[in-house]
Amino acid sequence: MSFLGNSKVLLLAYSGMKEHSLSHSVNIMLTPQFYTLKKEKLPVKYLYQAKKIAPSLFDGLVEDIQKYDYLVYKEEDEWVFIAYDLEIISNFLLSKGIKPEQVVKIFFAQQASSSFTGPVLLGEREALVSLDNTVVIVPQVAVKENDDILLFGDSFTPKTGVTLQGVQGSILNKKQTMGLSAIFILFSFMFFVEGWRYAPDSQATEEEMQMLLEEHPSLQSEYTRESIATKYKTIDKNERKKRDVVKTLAGMIFKGVKIGSFNLNEKEFKVEFICSDAKVAKRLVQLAKKVKFSSAKVMTDNVVNIEEKL
Amino acid sequence: MNWKLYKNELIVAVSLVLMLSALLYKNNKISSRAQEMSHHKQTATELKELISLQKIWIDKKVSKKVDKLEKIVPSSKVKWSKKGKKLTAAYKDLDPKELNKLITNILSMAVQIQELKINRNDSSYDVEFKCKW
Repeated sequence: MSFLGNSKVLLLAYSGMKEHSLSHSVNIMLTPQFYTLKKEKLPVKYLYQAKKIAPSLFDGLVEDIQKYDYLVYKEEDEWVFIAYDLEIISNFLLSKGIKPEQVVKIFFAQQASSSFTGPVLLGEREALVSLDNTVVIVPQVAVKENDDILLFGDSFTPKTGVTLQGVQGSILNKKQTMGLSAIFILFSFMFFVEGWRYAPDSQATEEEMQMLLEEHPSLQSEYTRESIATKYKTIDKNERKKRDVVKTLAGMIFKGVKIGSFNLNEKEFKVEFICSDAKVAKRLVQLAKKVKFSSAKVMTDNVVNIEEKL
Repeated sequence: MNWKLYKNELIVAVSLVLMLSALLYKNNKISSRAQEMSHHKQTATELKELISLQKIWIDKKVSKKVDKLEKIVPSSKVKWSKKGKKLTAAYKDLDPKELNKLITNILSMAVQIQELKINRNDSSYDVEFKCKW
């Protein structure tokens, strides 16, 4: 039992293979019938660079190039490019009774070229052989009689393979996944930064408040603040009211109106205006009502009285 | 269920959840900060209001300012009694100009008016004034 490698059964998939009825998942090795191989000596150093140019290498070699995926790896001084169409592979496997969810990994025969020390028979007519380090299918008649026929098995399993994900059951392909994920992650980053950077905005207000509290230490306690506020707000409100009353009454003195008496205390005020005639007195009452002194009334001798609570 | 088949969707879903969490974090942060700021602003406004109220109603110079009310009219017309932070003043025979001047001065001072009485005698006025500060 291998804890490092892939311990699944490895099946060799070729066009004339028999149908399977699997109760467990398997690995698949594909013959060259399902991929296009190209080996190139390229002046590139890194795998990502080689992967980038892979589609251009198969231009004209494969139809509908957009549908293809590529497996790229380095073999000594050469880059090996394998172009494959997962949809074709998946449909073929389904036609042979192998469901995509039963396939753990897909490998290409070329990846195990070193294991093909002899021919591997494919049905009754064809065989898989490695010629000049390239795995190809040849007619069985071309196989030399003295060649040892190899039995295909798990020992052919290469280290890396591809998965069928994105073909059956999956709505998104690799490119769409990467694109969408990149967008979402970019937005996540933006939102996190935005949220994080929003913090210092309130510092100015906080600093201003701290400064005020430092200047007035007696106001540091909220309870004290409330108590002081209640006291002085009441005083301020009452005193403003008293002054407003005096100013309003002073504004009511016009030609023919004199002040007879005025009395203001904490709770109420009382004022007596002496008017020159009844007409002036009436006008004064109207004016008083207009400024909300509803108690204004004409007394005897054209005297107008106003008595209101504060 | 073979989760490997849905690896792409899983990756997109995880990144989407990450984005939504980030959005939630941002909105929460903004909302909590806005609340905090509003609270701080309100407290700062209240503090300023309180400080200005204190400045008005605990003015240490009021006592000196009140003394001016004694000299605003000829001393013969004034009966003055100032004890601590309380004042009782009686003015007699004030002409309208003197009355106006006195009332304007009283109203402009930050004192608590306890009583203000004005009585007309022919063409002059008598005033009684009680206040504290």
